[in-house]
Amino acid sequence: MPANTSTAGNAVPARSPWLTVALAWLIPGSGHFLLGRRGRAIIFFVTVAVAFLIGVLMRGPLFQPSGSGEVLSRLIQYGGFIGNLACGLFYFLAVWLGYGPPDQAGHDPDYGSKFLVAAGLLNILGMVDAYEIATKQKD
Amino acid sequence: MHLDLNHLQTAILFALVSSVILGVVTKRTDRERLQYGIYCFGWFMAALFGIGWFMHFLHG
Repeated sequence: MPANTSTAGNAVPARSPWLTVALAWLIPGSGHFLLGRRGRAIIFFVTVAVAFLIGVLMRGPLFQPSGSGEVLSRLIQYGGFIGNLACGLFYFLAVWLGYGPPDQAGHDPDYGSKFLVAAGLLNILGMVDAYEIATKQKD
Repeated sequence: MHLDLNHLQTAILFALVSSVILGVVTKRTDRERLQYGIYCFGWFMAALFGIGWFMHFLHG
C-alpha cells in the first residue's frame, strides 16, 4: 500500500518543499507549522530547543571547521560543525551572543558538546519529515 | 547558570529528547507516535542499563 495516502482533514497546503526545508532548518518546527502540522511543530521546536539549551548549560564547546590535523580529527570537527549548524537559529543566536566556551577536559563540556550536535541532528530529522510532508509522501 | 549532570542523568535526558523526535517522525497517527516514542525510550533505557551492567561485570 502506498504511503502517500492522505485524508481531506490532513490536506497539505501547497508549499515549495525546499522553502519548507530551509525554514525548518532556520527555525526548528517552522516547516511543520507552515504545512499546518502545528502540534508537531511545537514538539520539534521545544525538543530541539531543550537539547540545545542543555548543551549550552553544560558549557559544551561548539565545533569549528578546521582544515588542519589528521583525517579523523578533521572529520570529527567538520561533522560536529554540521551538527551545530543544523540547529539553525539557535546556533546563530549562540554565536551572535558570544557563546564560545573553551574546549576543556571534563564530563560536563563533553556531554554538552554531544547535546549541541544531537540537537542539530534531531532538527535534520525534522527537516526530512517536513520535506516528506510537503511532497505528500506522508501525512 | 551551569548544569552539572552525571552520566545517568545525561543519558536519560538524551534518550528522552531522541525518543520524542523518533516517535514524531516515524509513525502515522498520534497514538502510534506516542507508543513508538515510549518504545524507543524503553530500548534506550534497556541498552543503557544493559551495557552499564555488562561493563560492570566485564571490569570485575
